[in-house]
Amino acid sequence: MLSMQDISKVYRTDTVETHALRQFSLDVDEGDFVSVTGPSGSGKTTFLNIAGLLEEFSSGTFELDGRNVAGLNDNDRSGLRNEKIGFIFQSFNLIPELDIFDNVDVPLRYRGFNATERKKRIDRVLETVGLGSRSKHLPSQLSGGQQQRAAIARALAGEPRFLLADEPTGNLDSHMADSVMDLLTEINKEGTTIVMVTHEASLASRAHRNIFVLDGHVSTNEPDLHLAAKSA
Amino acid sequence: MELGPIWRALLRNKTSYVLIALQIAVTMAIMVNAISIIQERSQKMARPSGVDEENIFHLSSNIFDPDADFEAQIAADLDAIRTFPGVQNAVVSNSVPLLNGGWSEDVRLEPDPDLDATGVALFFADEHGIDTFGLNLIAGRSFNPNEADWTDGESDAWPPVTIITVAMAEELFPDIALPDVVGKTVYVHQTLPVTIIGVTERMQAAWNSWSGVERSMLVPQKRAVSYNRYIIRSEPGYRDEIMPQIEEMLATIYDKRIIRGVATMEETRRKSYLQDSAMVKMLFFVVAVLIGITGLGIVGLASFSVARRTRQIGTRRALGASRLAILRYFMLENFVISTVGVAGGAIIAVGINIWMVEAFGLQRIAWYLIPAAMLTLWLVGQLAVYGPARRATMVSPALATRTV
Amino acid sequence: MFRYYLKLGLSSIRKNPMLSALMVAAIATGIGAYMTIINVDYVMSGNPIPNKSDVLFHVQVDNWDPNNAYDEPNEPPVQVTYLDGSALLAAGKARRQVLSYKTGRVIEPEQEGERPFRALSRSTSADFFAMFDTPFLFGGGWDKAADNNEEYVVVIDSEINERVFGGENSVGRSLVMNGDRYRVVGVMDVWQPMPKFYDVNNGPFDEGEDVFLPLSVSVANEFHSWGNNSCWKPDGGDWAGRLTGECIWLQFWVELHGESERQDYMAFLNAYVETQKALGRFPRPMNNRLTNVMEWMEDRKVVAKDVNVLKGLAFLFLIVCLLNTIGLLLAKVTRRAGDISLRRALGASRKAVFSQYIIEAGVIGLAGGLLGVGMTWLGLQGIKGLYSDFDFITRLVAMDWPVILATIALAIVSALAAALYPTWRACGIHPASQLKAL
Repeated sequence: MLSMQDISKVYRTDTVETHALRQFSLDVDEGDFVSVTGPSGSGKTTFLNIAGLLEEFSSGTFELDGRNVAGLNDNDRSGLRNEKIGFIFQSFNLIPELDIFDNVDVPLRYRGFNATERKKRIDRVLETVGLGSRSKHLPSQLSGGQQQRAAIARALAGEPRFLLADEPTGNLDSHMADSVMDLLTEINKEGTTIVMVTHEASLASRAHRNIFVLDGHVSTNEPDLHLAAKSA
Repeated sequence: MELGPIWRALLRNKTSYVLIALQIAVTMAIMVNAISIIQERSQKMARPSGVDEENIFHLSSNIFDPDADFEAQIAADLDAIRTFPGVQNAVVSNSVPLLNGGWSEDVRLEPDPDLDATGVALFFADEHGIDTFGLNLIAGRSFNPNEADWTDGESDAWPPVTIITVAMAEELFPDIALPDVVGKTVYVHQTLPVTIIGVTERMQAAWNSWSGVERSMLVPQKRAVSYNRYIIRSEPGYRDEIMPQIEEMLATIYDKRIIRGVATMEETRRKSYLQDSAMVKMLFFVVAVLIGITGLGIVGLASFSVARRTRQIGTRRALGASRLAILRYFMLENFVISTVGVAGGAIIAVGINIWMVEAFGLQRIAWYLIPAAMLTLWLVGQLAVYGPARRATMVSPALATRTV
Repeated sequence: MFRYYLKLGLSSIRKNPMLSALMVAAIATGIGAYMTIINVDYVMSGNPIPNKSDVLFHVQVDNWDPNNAYDEPNEPPVQVTYLDGSALLAAGKARRQVLSYKTGRVIEPEQEGERPFRALSRSTSADFFAMFDTPFLFGGGWDKAADNNEEYVVVIDSEINERVFGGENSVGRSLVMNGDRYRVVGVMDVWQPMPKFYDVNNGPFDEGEDVFLPLSVSVANEFHSWGNNSCWKPDGGDWAGRLTGECIWLQFWVELHGESERQDYMAFLNAYVETQKALGRFPRPMNNRLTNVMEWMEDRKVVAKDVNVLKGLAFLFLIVCLLNTIGLLLAKVTRRAGDISLRRALGASRKAVFSQYIIEAGVIGLAGGLLGVGMTWLGLQGIKGLYSDFDFITRLVAMDWPVILATIALAIVSALAAALYPTWRACGIHPASQLKAL
């Protein structure tokens, strides 16, 4: 469903050229739960931005849901993001002036659904994440875990082809982190593809498989995740 | 269109938006009232005086030899002026329309001093008066050569005929057709009868703010006194050339007098409305600066508001908002704020107008000024927010994944 | 600490040049517009004779038409007839009294080659100069004897003195006006009360008179009034009628010190009117007025209505500028939330934060005030240009120190007032609340 072949991303300034990604290849099938790990500076974030169509890549092929995304203009990419991808951010990125309902509503508005359709979807996803009774609350009135769950609801509301999670439990304590990971596992069981970027081995172990990135490239030397978890 | 969420978000963060709305409201209130005053004054200044403003000029002649033969000298002066090349006609009078200084009389329909009187401005003239002033006689006749008598200014003598303006006729005889007003008798000085022999279309009095400014009467009299005003109508195109020449000529043919206040009718009009004209200019300036300040203020506050929300903008873009959607969001947000502002502004504008009508006797605002001002301020707001809004669209969606 | 906050304030202004410039401009413009109008109003309604304004009274008696008031609803005429004025003058019941009217003469210089020219004149009784404290360069006014003897004396102003006598002490010299020879008894120094309160009916902002001559001489020689002349009843048209009829063309002022003198004079006026009523005059009910200088100018609405309208609009304009400033300050405070939070975390009290930002606002206010003085000056020049025809405007547009200081003070006060809410908000920022965002 998501297919990257030999993706490179080069950042050029006047003085220096940085290869954030080199010959990066990855295939994700429908229903998969993939974690992408690696040390800081390895290119995880760049991969995330490219996979999420937030940035363009310098060379290679990227097919998303059967569609080649090379050369798409900004409007097309925005539309594709809106329809196909559900984002979950490390710092939640909920809009503080809007209540939970309106926050989940944001991507649906860009989709162009009518009011009834939107309300139906929002109510449904809020139930799914267990925030049905808090739709009128402001983000500041929720705990970290609840905020992330609201963000997950927002990501799910448009029935995306896959969820793209960036360190989803990075700002949560271990108890909340567990409940969020349980939710993600649950969602994946229902059939939603998940690609998760993280540097925590314990998180990565909850995925079906793990990709290890080093120096902008998929590393063949996969470290022992369990060893990494013990030393963390 | 995200009207609902925009509105709800505004309500939660009221203060800075309330300030913009309030600014727009007070700006609108000032704008509407200032434009109303501009309208009022402009209409006032546009009124024609009824005389040939392009070709008329006038001057005062003050004979200071107490033993001079005023009548002979004035007659000689008029003769010399009328035969001067480039002059169409001339009369000796007391004033001209819009001069700010002139004579007025009380006129009644019956010789009964207890009756209410109508005030009228009077202008002395002789049979050359209609042509000199360039008046449009629409009923009756002009004065005959023998009807304009000389007076030494010491007696109460009053000529038995007069020519009045349409406005005067309508005030005195509201139900009578103009041609039938000719021949009617009115009374000045409480009991002196005067017959109306003619009606002219228009001749304004000397005082432009007087309620009776359109009520004038021509009195066929020549005053043999030391101080007089000569009204001179040039042939088209000659005015500027002959003005200094006539002044020179009059000084030369008789030196025991002072010629002063040589002015064109156009100059007289300009001076007459100087205050109104200045007021109009000042108000235009105020409105322009006001819109500028409010506009710049909105630019400043909008820039700040956008800069404060870059993370949110990045997130929206990540969630699928196109650049256009971001632009629309901020334009719409500004539109909502402006709407609150102009709605409040309409109320304040009317309130201020009511107060100013009470306190200063200004006129009520025309209803269409309110929607016109609303449109203007909506436009100003949208223009002001466009720059910052466009900058907002440039925020990269990758901002959303950047860790804080 | 003040200097520290001052330094912080200045550096903060430098760090946000656009925002600060906008704020200073907004304050300066609002203050400039407002103070321009206030200056005009201040000069126009200033007290023209502050040390005597409450002892000089304008006298009005109601000899007008039984069927129509002179002015709605029941105002007596604004000038007096010669009949009444001369009677009241002769009675001499006030400490001082003066009867005068505006007229014109033609001065005929006796030097070779000098052409005759018009001189604006005031025909007045003797007390004018003492009552109105007119300043003299040489000599003085004339006395009651000169009035009674119809002496051909004249007081000239310094400009006429320059023009005709080369600026010397011309007391005793003769001046020919309209063929008559007058003896100069005094040369007046520059005297231009603003407005000409002693005759607001005939050009309150016109130039001052060039010469002053005795009322008795004017009347004897039938010098007609150049001012307004209103009649409700014809007076016969000739000079005799002018002196005995009901036409009003003169101004009558009295000087009274203290309430009892005022009341006594009022009683005298009432008694006089009663005697006239007995003679068949004064058909209207008793309606005598004694109004002092400021009251009289208020009554005559000397300050143009337009000035008042502009005052109202300019005030609202100022409000808009202040709202602008509040908004911009709020923006600045919000942007600096991190800085504030850090300072609080490091131990700054609420009061310290408040002081810092209030002082910063004060600096902005001062800058706005200084710029505002410039804007006010520009505004006054603009007004001068618009009204260039009117001579008195040049006097109106002079900015004196009280106005300049008031402008700066108003700017600072406004800036501080505008800063109150944003600064209060700044104090409310919790220590360390913004630190994560830094």
